[in-house]
Parts: sequence; structure tokens; C-alpha cells
Amino acid sequence: MSYTVQFSQVTPYMGYLAGGACLSLQMAAISFFAGGTVGLACASVLEYGPAWARWPVKAYVVFFLNTPLLVQIFFFYFALPDVGIMLGSEQAVLVGMSLNAGSYLTEIMRTGFRVLRRSELEAAETLGFTRLQTIRHVIWPHICKVLFLPLSNQYIILTLTTSIAAIFGVEELTGRAYNVNSQTFRSLEVFLIAALYYVGLTFVASIMLHMVGYHVFGIRRKVF
Amino acid sequence: MREFMDEVSRFLSYYDLIFIGRAFLYTALLSLVGSCCGFVVGCGLAIVRIRRLVPFAPLRWLATAYVEIFRRIPFLVKLMLVLFTFQFMGVDVPMFVIAAITVALAASAFCAENIRAGLESIHVTQWEAAEALNMGGFSILWRVVLPQAWRVIIPPSMTYSVGLVKSTAIASQLGVPELTYAAKVLNQRGFSVVLCFGTILVLYFILCWPLTLLAAYLEKRLAPPGHR
Repeated sequence: MSYTVQFSQVTPYMGYLAGGACLSLQMAAISFFAGGTVGLACASVLEYGPAWARWPVKAYVVFFLNTPLLVQIFFFYFALPDVGIMLGSEQAVLVGMSLNAGSYLTEIMRTGFRVLRRSELEAAETLGFTRLQTIRHVIWPHICKVLFLPLSNQYIILTLTTSIAAIFGVEELTGRAYNVNSQTFRSLEVFLIAALYYVGLTFVASIMLHMVGYHVFGIRRKVF
Repeated sequence: MREFMDEVSRFLSYYDLIFIGRAFLYTALLSLVGSCCGFVVGCGLAIVRIRRLVPFAPLRWLATAYVEIFRRIPFLVKLMLVLFTFQFMGVDVPMFVIAAITVALAASAFCAENIRAGLESIHVTQWEAAEALNMGGFSILWRVVLPQAWRVIIPPSMTYSVGLVKSTAIASQLGVPELTYAAKVLNQRGFSVVLCFGTILVLYFILCWPLTLLAAYLEKRLAPPGHR
């Protein structure tokens, strides 16, 4: 044993790492909403769109679901400048993550579209609901209940995925952990603290999502 | 376009193909070893978390803590932790082992969760009925619960194994010669990015797509009769 664990050299950097964690959260949120938009658009095309539009969307989803995010970002980062699109490292990561999340979210949103049954809508019509009332009281609650769990899981997964940005030199949590590591050479300690941050972040997010799910949508199952 | 075709013909030399072929096998092997080890450990963890089999609560909490913690650490950070833990212990192990252990750690936590969900999908009355027949705990698990639960366990586990194959790309950070690393090396040898990374994107796709299709097929095939 030639190595003793010593946290004292790393503790001054806790605030610095927390700043990185903020950037991680930010990136997760951006890619979640961008991916959600992409997913919603693609899912509507897949379910209701014309046949010629369905084919390329399907290809996009299948291809992005079955290739690694890291390689996709490499591709955006290094190949897009050849066609004249210059992306900064953070932008490239965000584009990659959004498109990747978009493919997952397409699949999730599709299940949301499918849960609605014709009989439900007919029942609403029989009760004399207006279109808006149908959406408000029938469609929306049902879709929320089905989609809430997979969407919150996806958000947690995205928070963890942001660590890939470190490979491209973005100074989020893992990137800053790399920096601290090269300054202090306390590798194990730095990455233990980074791991703790990730566990803490996602745990808090899980608990909050669970509370939202329970109180707003009445979902009794655990989010985590 | 002409230049690109020239480059492709240079790219298709014997040594490059062998290099990429090896990298492909390396990725496949890494995923396979990692996910098999992970599945075994995950089974153990899921079984430890069953209250009826393990009355000793702290052991259950420990298993839960393991699953919750390792599910919440990103693959890259886990990789670094495993790497530096081995360094800390002063053991010199090949990079393949480090990468495989990381994959196994990730797989074990997620498999444990999948398997637990599968086991919990079996109604308590099944346990009680089997107990009334004077069957032992593990005998119930093996003969009554698992035969019903594996329908619920297998499809998400297959889907997750696709995710594992994809996350092995991150192991290129260690310099293990898998596909992503091969692409980087070829890129540094002067081949264009589109060619290098395009090729391995296709190779990853070839590796993952059959798994995805199999998972989707099994999900339909194994669905309990009422849910088809």
C-alpha cells in the first residue's frame, strides 16, 4: 500500500465542483427539453404523419437508439466543421445529447399516444364535453399518468449522461473533476466526491419527481 | 467525391480491416463478459433483497444501497473510480479487466433492479401458497416464482444490454483497443472523420440492432397471455 486516502487537499475544491454540477444540471435540462421537442415531433409524425415522412423519422430513431452517444458526439464535433458548421464543444455535446434523447423520447411519447382509447373519447363526447374539456379532463390526465415515470427516468439518465461532455473538455462536474485531479493528483478522492455529487443530484431529483408524481398526478409507484 | 473514393480504397487495406475487426470483437467481448458477470451479481443482489428469503435487514439495506448508488454514478466516473481503486491497491491489472469490471458494476445494479421488478410482479399469494405446501424459500424462488418472473425480467434486461454495448464506447478513454479507440487511431493516421467514425457507427449499429430487435420480439412473445 503506497497510497493513503487524503481528502484535505480536495475539500477546497468542493465549491468549484458544485459549480460544475450546476452546469451538468443545466445541460441535462436543455437536452431534455430539446430532446422532448424532437421526440414529440417525431412521435406525431410516426403516429399520424404521411408514409413518406414516417420512413426517415423511423430511420433516425432506430439509428440513434443503436449507436453510442459518445461516437455520435465525436461525429458532430469533428465532421460538421467539414461542411462548414462550427460547433463549440459544449454545443456539440448538447446537439448530440438532444438528438440522442430525442430518439428515446420518441419511443416514450409514442406509447403516450397509444394509450388513448377511442371509447374514452366517445364517452367524453357522450357526456357533452367540448373539445377543450376532453383534452383537459380525459386526454391530459391519462397521458400524464402513463408518461410521467418513463420521462422522469429519462431525465435522471440524462443527468448522468452529461458526464460524457468531460471527454470534449466541457467543464461540467466530471470535467472539473478532471481539472482538480490534474492539479492535486488526488485521483481517487476527487472522483469519489464527483460520484457523491452525482448520487446526491439524482437522488434529490428522484425524490422531487416522486413527490410531483404523487401529489400532482397521483402516481403511487416509486420513481426510483 | 473522387478523393473520398480514393480514401475509401486506401482505408480498405488488409491491416486496417484486421485492426477494425479486432476492435469489433473486443467491443463484443467486453460487453459480453461485463454483462454476464453483471447479470450474475445482479441476480444475487435481487435475491438478497427479498424479505422472505433474507430476514436479516441490514444485508437487504446494503444491497439496496449498492443498487441505488451504482445506478446513480455515470459510467465515465465509475470507470475512473475503478481505475484509481486498482492503482490505490497497487495491483497491476490489464485495462480490459478494469473496463470489464466497470461494465459489470453498471450491469449488476441495473439487472438487480430489473430482476427485483420481475420478482415483485409475482403476487404474494404465490409465495404463500408454496409455503403452505411446505416448500423451502429457495425452492419456492426456483420452482414457483422464477418460472413466472423471467417473462418480465428478460425483455428489459435485453434492452439494457444494448445500452451496455453502447456505454463500452466510453472505455476508449482508458485506451483499450475497442471500436471507438480504433476510430480515433485511424483518424490520427490521416483518414477523414466521416470515414472513421462513420464506419464504427455502422459497426456499433450491426452489433446493437439485432439485440434491440430480439428484445422487442421477446417482449411481444413473452408477454403474459392477458397483456398481448
